[in-house]
Amino acid sequence: MNVREKKERQSGEPCMIWDATLESLAWKSRGWEQVCRYQDLEPADSSMEEENETRKINNSFLRDHNYATEADIISTVEFNSTGELLATGDKGGRVVVFQREQESKTQPHRRGEYNVYSTFQSHEPEFDYLKSLEIEEKINKIKWLPQQNAAYFLLSTNDKTVKLWKISERDKRPEGYNLKDEDGRFRDPSTITTLRVPVLQPMDLMVEATARRVFSNAHTYHINSISVNSDLQTFISTDDLRVNLWNLEITDRSFNIVDIKPANMEELTEVITSAEFHPQQCHTFAYTSSKGCIRLCDMRQAALCDRHCKYFEEPEDPSTRSFFSEIISSISDVKFSHNGRYLMTRDYLTVKVWDLQMENKPLETYQVHDYLRGKLCSLYENDCIFDKFECVWNGSDSVIMTGSYNNFFRMFDRNTKRDVTLEASRENSKPRAILKPRKVCVGGKRRKDEISVDSLDFSKKILHTTWHPHENIIAVAATNNLYIFQDKVN
Amino acid sequence: MLGRGVKRKWSCLEELEAEELPNASLISPEEKKQDGEEDTGEQQSKSNMSHLQQRQLVLSLCLEKLQHYQAGMELSLRRSVLLINTLRQIQEEIRCDGSDVRLHSVNPDGCLLRDDFREDESVTCPGCAEGDRESPSLSPPLSPEMPFQEANISLDLQKSLPNTVSNTFSDAGNAMGYLSDLALDDIFEDIDTSMYETSDLPPAWGAGSLWPVSVSFWPDEDAKSRSSAGTLQSCLLDLNELDHIMEILVKS
Repeated sequence: MNVREKKERQSGEPCMIWDATLESLAWKSRGWEQVCRYQDLEPADSSMEEENETRKINNSFLRDHNYATEADIISTVEFNSTGELLATGDKGGRVVVFQREQESKTQPHRRGEYNVYSTFQSHEPEFDYLKSLEIEEKINKIKWLPQQNAAYFLLSTNDKTVKLWKISERDKRPEGYNLKDEDGRFRDPSTITTLRVPVLQPMDLMVEATARRVFSNAHTYHINSISVNSDLQTFISTDDLRVNLWNLEITDRSFNIVDIKPANMEELTEVITSAEFHPQQCHTFAYTSSKGCIRLCDMRQAALCDRHCKYFEEPEDPSTRSFFSEIISSISDVKFSHNGRYLMTRDYLTVKVWDLQMENKPLETYQVHDYLRGKLCSLYENDCIFDKFECVWNGSDSVIMTGSYNNFFRMFDRNTKRDVTLEASRENSKPRAILKPRKVCVGGKRRKDEISVDSLDFSKKILHTTWHPHENIIAVAATNNLYIFQDKVN
Repeated sequence: MLGRGVKRKWSCLEELEAEELPNASLISPEEKKQDGEEDTGEQQSKSNMSHLQQRQLVLSLCLEKLQHYQAGMELSLRRSVLLINTLRQIQEEIRCDGSDVRLHSVNPDGCLLRDDFREDESVTCPGCAEGDRESPSLSPPLSPEMPFQEANISLDLQKSLPNTVSNTFSDAGNAMGYLSDLALDDIFEDIDTSMYETSDLPPAWGAGSLWPVSVSFWPDEDAKSRSSAGTLQSCLLDLNELDHIMEILVKS
């Protein structure tokens, strides 16, 4: 079966009804349709087949195998700054980059689809001999650098090492060497009678990824986040206790700008859970903790940013206090809004939007899955309470999205205060399928399409999602499946 | 009333444990109230007990998760910090319960061992002894006997365990190192000594940098006042806790 045919069957018609005046999604009418679904699998063979176009597609990635290994679990997804590329990292240390199909007049509905652009092994498992510990190759985070020339650059990190990868295309090669013939074999110099200048001839497009920098040996604890500065010269990498500032050009040293390790480790009660640079102010960054607080720091104040400029924390509600209060308040992700005025945090049950000017409480709080509040003890028992969900803004900062269990993900419209629950699942993905809003029934009578809390599958969790910077295209990672959805005007 | 009360609580306990195993069950005080308990007079103590039940469950789960070090599973620093903080919170709560009864201020530094109220006694359950035989990293506990009536059940993970751990994992790099440094005896020092004062049991802790995880499963401090009903209930509860703890130790 032709690969292209399969993709045509899977994608749906472009759907209408995007309320451009409100810049919000109109839930009543057609909503999100599935563009394509990729299943991350171990390739049967690593050979790449040629297609008619000058583009190579890794067929094994698209083929629907029946097996999937744990190495295929997608651990991070990220659009680049234009939305043209989408990168995914998996537990096996692999990075797969997708590229958006170019607009074509003959096949207008194909716009918006993403094809595999490049696949490479970013990190390998390592062994720390000193501590007798294995260092996982799982890719924790990928961050793109804005494009400055023809090549693409991204940072990928595992628990200990950050790497800068350059992804470049090669579609020409020099031909007509004097000392080598076309096969590459050396010619006998005595047989050469004339000289010629090699010329560049077009060749089949090849995408190659090379590691340009390796930033290592700076983290004792596990790296949980990386963030590129708006100055495009520096970036930070964050582990449980420290934040390090790097220059993209210099790999043999980094500056430690936050260190919360106590002199006596017995006194440790709080760890850093994530950190991000402000999108416009190159001297400002925020980091979050396991106790649910956010600290905004200004690097101009001191070399060591131990004293925050701003401290955001919501006082605890004594009526909901339980043994799990602290665990569920632990922030798992922080994201600045695109306009730089807000930041959003995700803890176990809620997403909160904070105004940078208001430290004592969040501007908005959205309940992601409050029906789990009564199940915290069981979730503690099966360790689900420690799951780290991410959250993401849309391009205009009007809608926020985050994942949940049972392959559900939620979107909240900040303006209309409406929200929707959608599901990323194979069973529901038919050709031309539009995602149907889902609902969890909390108690009492369960309606036909609702699902009860006890039927939720807690092994199917959506931890990683990303939103196209300008358009309504989202990528959702569900275990080893990558779903791309779009909501667009005809 | 006594017999009825005991029976109900026992069956509630069994219910609780049966619920835990198969599927995700809801254990909240509100839920417990609906568990077929009709005697309104017992509502208050019932919700107290379910809170205590939950506390004990969370406590034992905490210990179980932290004990995963033995299996070689590395716990992330974030998770271990959250678990330790939960343990501390529970300990604080137990301590507060204790101070209400004693009518004297509890020294947060944990000097209760030196308090007159405290007898120098400790109990290590037979589970420890059994567990020690199975696991080479644990050395046998000090206390030879384990009377059931003892209020305190303490789990003593001997010094060799954290030593083994810290030999394998350095402090700087690992949560386990962090935990072996953590003197949990400071947290659990103010064990509620039992109302049964037996003087022939040697002290188990106070041995410096041990890593004993001593846990008091004395659920109801009010039983210390001479209410026989409370005593009996507590004893039966302790029996069950003892089994539970033994199970954890033997399994690990």
